[in-house]
Amino acid sequence: MSFAEPCPGAIVCARNLTRLFRLGAGTVTGLDGVDLDIDPGAFVVLKGPSGSGKSTLLSLLAGLDTASSGELTVAGERLTGRRPADLTRFRREVVGMVFQSFNLLPTLNVLENVCLPALLAGRDEGAARRKAEELLERLGLAGRARHPADRLSGGEMQRVAIARAVINGPALVLADEPTGNLDSKNGEAVIELLARLNREDGVTVLLATHSDLADGVASRTLRIRDGRLIAPPCGA
Amino acid sequence: MISFLRLFIAFSLRHAARHRGRTIAVVCGIALGAAVFTSVRLAVHASIASFTRSMDFFAGNADRVLVQPGGVLPEETLARFYTHPAVRDYTVLSTTYARKADAAAPPFLLIGIDPLLDRTFREWRLRGREAEAVEGWLDLLREPYTVLLSLPLARELGLAPGARLALEHTRRTADFRVAGLLEPSGLALVEGGRVGIVDIATFQELTGLYGKIDRIDLKFRRGVSAAEIEELARSLPQDLALHPPSAARESGVTMIRAYQLNLSVLSFASLFVGMFLVYSLVALNVAARRKELAILRALGAAPRTLFALFLSEGVLLGTLGWLAAIPLGAVLVRHLLEAVSRTISTLFVRVRVEDLELSAAEIAVSFAVTVVTSLLAAWQPAGEAMRVPPREAMDMVAPEERRRRSARFAALLALGCLAACGALLPLPPAGGVPLAGYLAVLLLFLGFALLSPFLLEHLASGLDGLLARLAGPPARLAGRAVRQGAVRTAVSVGALITAVALFTALVIMVHSFRRTVETWVRQTVSGELFVTAKLGQVNRFRFPIPEDIVEGLRRLDAAFDLVESRRWFLERGHFPYEFEAMGMETFFRHGDFLWLQGDPAAIRPRAARGEGVLVSEVFAARTGLRPGDRFEARIEGSLVDLPILGVVRDYRTDGGIVFYSHAHFRERFHDPRWSGVRFFFREPPADPEAELSRLRRAILERWGDRLDLVGGRELREAVLRIFDETFAVTTVLLLIALAVAALGIATTLTVLVLERSRQLNTILAVGGSPRQIRSMIFWEAAFLVVTGEGAGLACGVLLSGMLIEVINRQSFGWTFLYTVDWPSLGLSLPLIFGAALGAALPAVRAAFRQPPAALLRQR
Repeated sequence: MSFAEPCPGAIVCARNLTRLFRLGAGTVTGLDGVDLDIDPGAFVVLKGPSGSGKSTLLSLLAGLDTASSGELTVAGERLTGRRPADLTRFRREVVGMVFQSFNLLPTLNVLENVCLPALLAGRDEGAARRKAEELLERLGLAGRARHPADRLSGGEMQRVAIARAVINGPALVLADEPTGNLDSKNGEAVIELLARLNREDGVTVLLATHSDLADGVASRTLRIRDGRLIAPPCGA
Repeated sequence: MISFLRLFIAFSLRHAARHRGRTIAVVCGIALGAAVFTSVRLAVHASIASFTRSMDFFAGNADRVLVQPGGVLPEETLARFYTHPAVRDYTVLSTTYARKADAAAPPFLLIGIDPLLDRTFREWRLRGREAEAVEGWLDLLREPYTVLLSLPLARELGLAPGARLALEHTRRTADFRVAGLLEPSGLALVEGGRVGIVDIATFQELTGLYGKIDRIDLKFRRGVSAAEIEELARSLPQDLALHPPSAARESGVTMIRAYQLNLSVLSFASLFVGMFLVYSLVALNVAARRKELAILRALGAAPRTLFALFLSEGVLLGTLGWLAAIPLGAVLVRHLLEAVSRTISTLFVRVRVEDLELSAAEIAVSFAVTVVTSLLAAWQPAGEAMRVPPREAMDMVAPEERRRRSARFAALLALGCLAACGALLPLPPAGGVPLAGYLAVLLLFLGFALLSPFLLEHLASGLDGLLARLAGPPARLAGRAVRQGAVRTAVSVGALITAVALFTALVIMVHSFRRTVETWVRQTVSGELFVTAKLGQVNRFRFPIPEDIVEGLRRLDAAFDLVESRRWFLERGHFPYEFEAMGMETFFRHGDFLWLQGDPAAIRPRAARGEGVLVSEVFAARTGLRPGDRFEARIEGSLVDLPILGVVRDYRTDGGIVFYSHAHFRERFHDPRWSGVRFFFREPPADPEAELSRLRRAILERWGDRLDLVGGRELREAVLRIFDETFAVTTVLLLIALAVAALGIATTLTVLVLERSRQLNTILAVGGSPRQIRSMIFWEAAFLVVTGEGAGLACGVLLSGMLIEVINRQSFGWTFLYTVDWPSLGLSLPLIFGAALGAALPAVRAAFRQPPAALLRQR
């Protein structure tokens, strides 16, 4: 199989993916002709220095940004040239996101933060609550369900963010430096949690990071530099 | 100083330039407020300046003026001063309004003087070469029916020296020769330069006031003591009064000043609402720049430097707003000038403003008020900036607002303000100005503004479940955001509360006032036809209808009842009022007063029997006299001393009115004669219009050149039209205050959305659609607007009561029947809601200014 051919059955399939940013009169290349396939159920770690293009790639995969050129398919959905409404549905149903700075809404409590994607998707509130409570139980946060989100520790906040990312049962979880704001103990716990979700629920995980904490659990490690992947795109 | 300036440029000015949208919005808000405030002050000032200039030219350099209050002086009085040791010079003066016969031109002021005696008192010069000027002056002396005209008046009437002028007055029309034109100085500048001068003898012949004069001006010999002047005053007959020449001016200016203060307070409302904008922007800058402030502190900036930085931001916003107000104010003041001078002429004293006078003092006041207001608005957030600890510079987390002030504490302060407001209300006015009332109004606004965080929190939490069920997650998220940011958004809600309260209160007040005036007009200004002596109104009814015409009117038509009247313009101390003797018995058959104090059923027959007087509410409020007290005045030489029977509402002028029976006045004092008469149908006719036309024709055919006629319906409509014109200024001021408040909501929402762009993008990232986010922002706006409008409505209802019962009573002496204009409020409040909600549009646009992907790049 050549680099440029599609990988049948892959959950992520990117071909010649390019993202250019206008900066004043010039342009900056965020991604430069990336080809990438990820198999379902994989735990992929994406490593690279700051400004290498990790976050840009994750933004495209999450449907938060659109490519300047190239092709991108995630979970069978072609993301290039889609309407904003389609991208909203895609984010609700297909991907879950975990951020470095947690991004919990301070106005909501823990349970409400977790429920939020389900409610935004128009799901039944009772069912969403039950699912959120179940997730919090699994993540060891049952006792914190009614706490204001901004009163938790960093580790707890990230666990809530992970629960929020998976409440709609996404096929792909995208985690952008999820351990960046945590100490090593909490960082390890978060990686372990993502690995568990990957193992037990079959969720595909793409984790962008600087650290080596995830090396032990990754089924595959990719490296990126100057907007280009420098490891083979295929294979688990 | 220089280093502070550099810091200010780098830290504050660059930040303002970077966020120029919000800076411009706040500057626009201040500019609107400052433009309204400045133009109102300038317009009233121009009227005052025109009035005082007229009065000063008129007063000349006399030391004292002798008058007979409510009447005219017999010419013989002058003989007292021929050889009086204290008096050096004396002269006589009379005035009236006359107009060119058969001309549409408005009446002008005709001054009767003694050309010889007057030269040492007042400045007036004839145009042309010296010989011509002397000739004109001599003509005035030796030739009857010659007149000197001011230049603008001569131009207006198209007359040159030597031309003939048919001059119409109450008694007759006479033919004059224009003896010369006046240089535009001194007496020729009175009344905006629309003035004519005649010899006093000619004046008396024209007006019929033979041997009578309005006043005698006196100049004392050098070194005359106050005791000698006092002695001179005591030696005069009791019905004469010796005043300083400035007395009339001061009395007029005092009345206009009260009006100016009320209008200034109202126009300050826009600036007050603008103050919330400055507070809001500076507070948001402090909150958003805490990290930078901490860094500055860590680098050695003193707390007072940070305080001065944000205070300077306030001053800068105020100064820019004031500068931006200049072109806006220039347009506004032209429109206001006419409306204000017309209102002053209607309610207080006759003014004629030719040109806008730019008063340096008024401009300085406007600048100082705008800048000080902005400085005060920036004070609290600047204090907040001063308290940012330097250790925050070390924090990794993005700066959040750490100090969350308690909404409950603000609510306690609010209760304190409202309690103090209640305590201030019963206090009396200070020097005729309701200072305690104004302070109470300010505390009411502050109280409600301070209540807004508490209201926002409780509204948001109270509706949480309901809205989530009805409107889904966007409404719930909006409610939570509002609860979280209640203290900060409260400032803009406070501005909206203030504007809506003003709007509500003034809608209620103006409506109550109008409804009361409508009732008053219907009952008291009743009658089918009003007849007065020619130029009666403009000459304040000084010249009664000639006796032969009165006799003719009495016998004219048996189908009509007549209510005769005579009005005098008097003063009690410095308080001007009218005394009206009227055909009380006939009047009660066809009309009535709006009674305030006393039992109408018992008082009507007593008033008709001439047992006492009825006084207007304003008269009672200003003099402190009540039913049972005695009213005393000297009218045309008669000492009128009568008990007060009751108090009635009257809105004819800002001064008070005293009513008494015409027939009994004649019996007890002297013949008051008639200055006017109104006709009522004795029995309702089959065709009222035809009957009225017949009466009108009959009067015009016989005395059309000597009487002014106005139909009852026309008069009543004119009264209401003047009322509406008077309050048109108020409506404009209100709309501007509302626009400033909407600007406040737009700015606050936009800044709040920009500050929360990370949160909004997170919602987008976890599955929220752009539509849901827009809906959320609109719900937030709805929370703010509903709270602002609801609290504003409540505050407005309280304010309307205060305006009617305290401010109006203390400023003008009158009150009105309280009625709420539900249709206007019902229509306008949804409009305000819509407009304020529209203020969310810039915020919605701002929400998507940053691409969502930036979220992933923010660490």
